[in-house]
Amino acid sequence: MMQIDLQKELNGANGPLQLDVKLDVQVGSFTSIYGRSGAGKTSILRMLAGLMTPDKGTIQVNNIIWFDMAQSINVSPQKRNVGFVFQDYTLFPNMDVKEQLTYALRKGDDSSVVQKLLDIMDLVKLKDAYPKTLSGGQKQRVALARALVQKPRLLLLDEPFAALDRGMRVKLQDYVLEAHVLFGLTTIMVSHDIAEIYKMSDLTIVIDDGKVTKLGKPQDIFANHEVSGKFQFTGEVVTIVEQDFLLIISILIGSDFVKVIGSRDEVGPLKIGDKVMVASKAFNPIVKIIKS
Amino acid sequence: MNKYQGAIIRVESDGALSIVHVDVKGQHFSAIIIDTPDSKPYLKERSPVNVIFKETEVVLGKEVQGHISLRNKINGKVAKLENGTLLTKVTIQSAIGDVASIITTNAVKAMSLVVGSEVQAMVKTNEVMLSPITEDKTEVAP
Repeated sequence: MMQIDLQKELNGANGPLQLDVKLDVQVGSFTSIYGRSGAGKTSILRMLAGLMTPDKGTIQVNNIIWFDMAQSINVSPQKRNVGFVFQDYTLFPNMDVKEQLTYALRKGDDSSVVQKLLDIMDLVKLKDAYPKTLSGGQKQRVALARALVQKPRLLLLDEPFAALDRGMRVKLQDYVLEAHVLFGLTTIMVSHDIAEIYKMSDLTIVIDDGKVTKLGKPQDIFANHEVSGKFQFTGEVVTIVEQDFLLIISILIGSDFVKVIGSRDEVGPLKIGDKVMVASKAFNPIVKIIKS
Repeated sequence: MNKYQGAIIRVESDGALSIVHVDVKGQHFSAIIIDTPDSKPYLKERSPVNVIFKETEVVLGKEVQGHISLRNKINGKVAKLENGTLLTKVTIQSAIGDVASIITTNAVKAMSLVVGSEVQAMVKTNEVMLSPITEDKTEVAP
């Protein structure tokens, strides 16, 4: 169990912001933090990594204290053994992919982990490539592999896929999930992408104004309360075709496209890229076996 | 989308399903949902709810006689017709407000619907959604 209790005054966009977050995270779970910009999400990750010092509070991981203001304990970032991946891949320009990973090894570490990560992240063919020749998705895979070299207990992801296109984002999500399971990581991710949070997390925390406003399974937080197997999804608007008074709206739900007939009165100023809820009465859908 | 504020009159439940009866300005609506008062505490008498149904699910009748299985029947007058090649949007003026219905243009012709025609708008019980009206938000219960 990871017990987090953090208080810090932050300089928010609208003046000072009092961050006050108490949270228990199961070891081995995948937790997402969702909230508006400037709500304090990244600061939570930075305090967990030891890159920012809370004003008050404690961080305890499996009964080991990382931070306790009262006892003047503040374990250094290196000793916390935390992997951190940001939105903008911070790779060394003068190192090839394999060197980026080898550089992250500590003295006495088994170097076979580098090969293993190159395998998992599909980087074997790119091991001699330099960052300037890599695509955004490839760079982020390297950053992720590098964060895992030291076999961290805790992996912190700060909107790691936000700069990538959807196809690449979906692939990277799969890599992260694979690594999360394989390495038995406890992962905490800041994300704005509800579909991504749905796919990846066990627990979602909504932060507003420095406080936890909601906590629960993603389906309980983003869908309606007590959803009981009804025909309701969240997706992203891909195309809108207007025909007379009707709109034919294509929506990406997970990796499936659906088309929905709507009207302007119904949806208002809908635009491409909007996140939407798609709901139908549970009586309409048809179920057919395609494989049994 | 057609949406009207009303209040629950009665809830009939069996197993996981409930038929919820709602009064909207004297007009009776019934909705069947996969919920019960146990799973959704708002399902009780006098709870304020929105009654919601899509215009594509509204059947129109003219001089309807005999028995019909549709439980939700709203009397009104055609106030507006927006003709498309295949589909027409019919706006019906009724005691609960405007009701929109999208039906085929062929049906409009066959029924000789014009502005002023007396019609009955009908919706199947399993096409009606409810959303409880709470102080700060509404949620949809499909």
